[in-house]
Amino acid sequence: MEILKVEELKMHFPVYGGIFYRQIARVFAVDGVSFSIEAGKTLGLVGESGCGKSTIGRALLRLYEPTAGRISFEGKDITHLSGSSLRELRSDMQMIFQDPFESLNPRHTVGSILEEPFQIHRWGTPLERRQEVLRLLDRVGMPADSVHKYPHEFSGGQRQRIGIARAIALKPKLIICDEAVSALDVSIQSQILNLLVELQQEMGMAYLFIAHDLSVIRHVSDQIAVMYLGRIVEIAERDSLYKNPLHPYTQALIASIPVPDPRRRKTFTPLQGEVPSPLNPPPFCHFVERCAYAQAVCSQQTPQLSSIDGSDPSHRVACHFAGRLSHK
Amino acid sequence: MPVFNFNPLTLNKIKRFKSIRRGYYSFIIFTLLVLLSCAAEMLVNSRALVVAYQGQWYFPTYGDIIPGTQLGFEYEYETNYRVLKKRLQGSDSGFVLLPPIPYNPYETDLKNNQFPPFPPSFEDQHYLGTDTIGRDVAARLVYGFRTAIFFSLILLVVSYLIGVSIGAAMGYFGGLFDLLFQRIIEIWSNIPFLYVIMIVSSIMIPNFYTLIAIILVFGWIQMTWYMRTVTYKEKAREYVMAARALGASHKRVIFNHILPNTISIIVTFIPFSIANGIIALTSLDYLGFGLPAPTPSWGELLSQGSNNLESVWIVSSVIVAMTVILVMVTFIGEAIREAFDPKKHTTYE
Repeated sequence: MEILKVEELKMHFPVYGGIFYRQIARVFAVDGVSFSIEAGKTLGLVGESGCGKSTIGRALLRLYEPTAGRISFEGKDITHLSGSSLRELRSDMQMIFQDPFESLNPRHTVGSILEEPFQIHRWGTPLERRQEVLRLLDRVGMPADSVHKYPHEFSGGQRQRIGIARAIALKPKLIICDEAVSALDVSIQSQILNLLVELQQEMGMAYLFIAHDLSVIRHVSDQIAVMYLGRIVEIAERDSLYKNPLHPYTQALIASIPVPDPRRRKTFTPLQGEVPSPLNPPPFCHFVERCAYAQAVCSQQTPQLSSIDGSDPSHRVACHFAGRLSHK
Repeated sequence: MPVFNFNPLTLNKIKRFKSIRRGYYSFIIFTLLVLLSCAAEMLVNSRALVVAYQGQWYFPTYGDIIPGTQLGFEYEYETNYRVLKKRLQGSDSGFVLLPPIPYNPYETDLKNNQFPPFPPSFEDQHYLGTDTIGRDVAARLVYGFRTAIFFSLILLVVSYLIGVSIGAAMGYFGGLFDLLFQRIIEIWSNIPFLYVIMIVSSIMIPNFYTLIAIILVFGWIQMTWYMRTVTYKEKAREYVMAARALGASHKRVIFNHILPNTISIIVTFIPFSIANGIIALTSLDYLGFGLPAPTPSWGELLSQGSNNLESVWIVSSVIVAMTVILVMVTFIGEAIREAFDPKKHTTYE
């Protein structure tokens, strides 16, 4: 069952300037993105910095107002919810933030941070809330005496556990993990990833897992979407994507994963150039400037996200030459 | 759970404030002075603290007027306790305990065949002399201090309430609201403050509260800028987004999340605002646009003193008092700024 469905989501940010403070440009942060997430499954969203991954996460939670498109949660259109129905939605959809140093208010104790979701949603009596807070702390593997401490008294991994406890407090059906482990040491990363996987099995939540680290994404995802400059260029089941990447960008990304084998020599050519500015992206295929296979058609037509003939229909790619590219 | 569950960071700041001796002692002395000035009636007053007269006890300090007839005089107006004390000396029908400075700031103490101001005299208990119409300088200093300090405290509280809420709203909501208020403030802060005061006081005689209101009209601006900036900064941090994601209302985000994180900015500015309040009132009084006569005030003493430089005790005592108070407040301010310096300990660590 689809829990979340996103259709042609666009998120443009206006840029103001000049004497009269008029809109002089737009940042095309997210430019027509469609995908869906199954209940209890994980969709990994991967891409370079600034490609719009986090913007999607925030737009889904309605922290930003989408410019265009449609978001539906459990079959209900939530694109323009407001007021109390928006608040209700937020108990079903939560977020884990990238930076555990920033996402916890330094002036609040851990107890009051974890109690806040219950206060906002008017859940339970003060005593019940406190018991629930202790239960949450225990669930994420934190000692009960953390309640009276402040975030800065904990390490990064512990703080991220607190962030996770806050996100699962209201038993949401979907959690958006916005680079949830990127700020942590590798050894801590695996602990947190395992905790997230355990919680998913226990509570049956779906995850939208945003990351730039392909090995992390591979560890947790059922399905993976690759983003480039505001668009999804390829979306597939995990194994299908890693075994048979179809988009030249995905191929380059996967080829760049380091292999722990000193005898293997580098065989791929790294991507040339920089990501173009989202203020002024190439008009058709966004990847055209850096693509080794680009031809005239790439700057004349926008490639659509579709499956290629004779292969898995769930594996979709936005490239004019998908399936016809051989690994050089 | 302890009652005062201070954030360890806050405790750290308090500890560092205490370690800055100059500021910490200034803070203690200043607080003591403010508290003592609340009880000024018991220290500086023409009414006696305790009177025992013909077996009866009287405590005139805070009560109604005790007419002279009740204590053995022929007049119906308030008893002159200094005379009473002299009369009862040596007799066994009672005694009088006077405050250390037995004059109130309004009464004139005149002498035969002499014109005030009178120089300081321990014999008359005019420790700092009298002013040009014979009122005790020390009494006027003490009551003037009380007026000035409560003036600036009230001004501080109200102007911070307005400035902090408008500034926080500007920073938090941004956009058109912010733009509009920025322009309003820019225009507003260009109105010459002194002219407005002069115009207002030529129409009506300002009292304590109208004077606060007039200064307030222009005084809220300063805090607004700082609050706007710091709210902009805090708003962009992820904990605010996390609270929004939980469904927290704007009110909750502003009051529970952003304001506690801006408190160090507010606290840092408080001593300097107090000093500014004292200076504002004193200079208005000095120019004659302040509180109406005969309210005891430092500005009025200062103008008397500078017009009568030969009576050096008037001008010197008020200048010494002002300097001491302002230096203390500045020391406190410095120490707080030092203790709250975000470079010393950061919550981002």
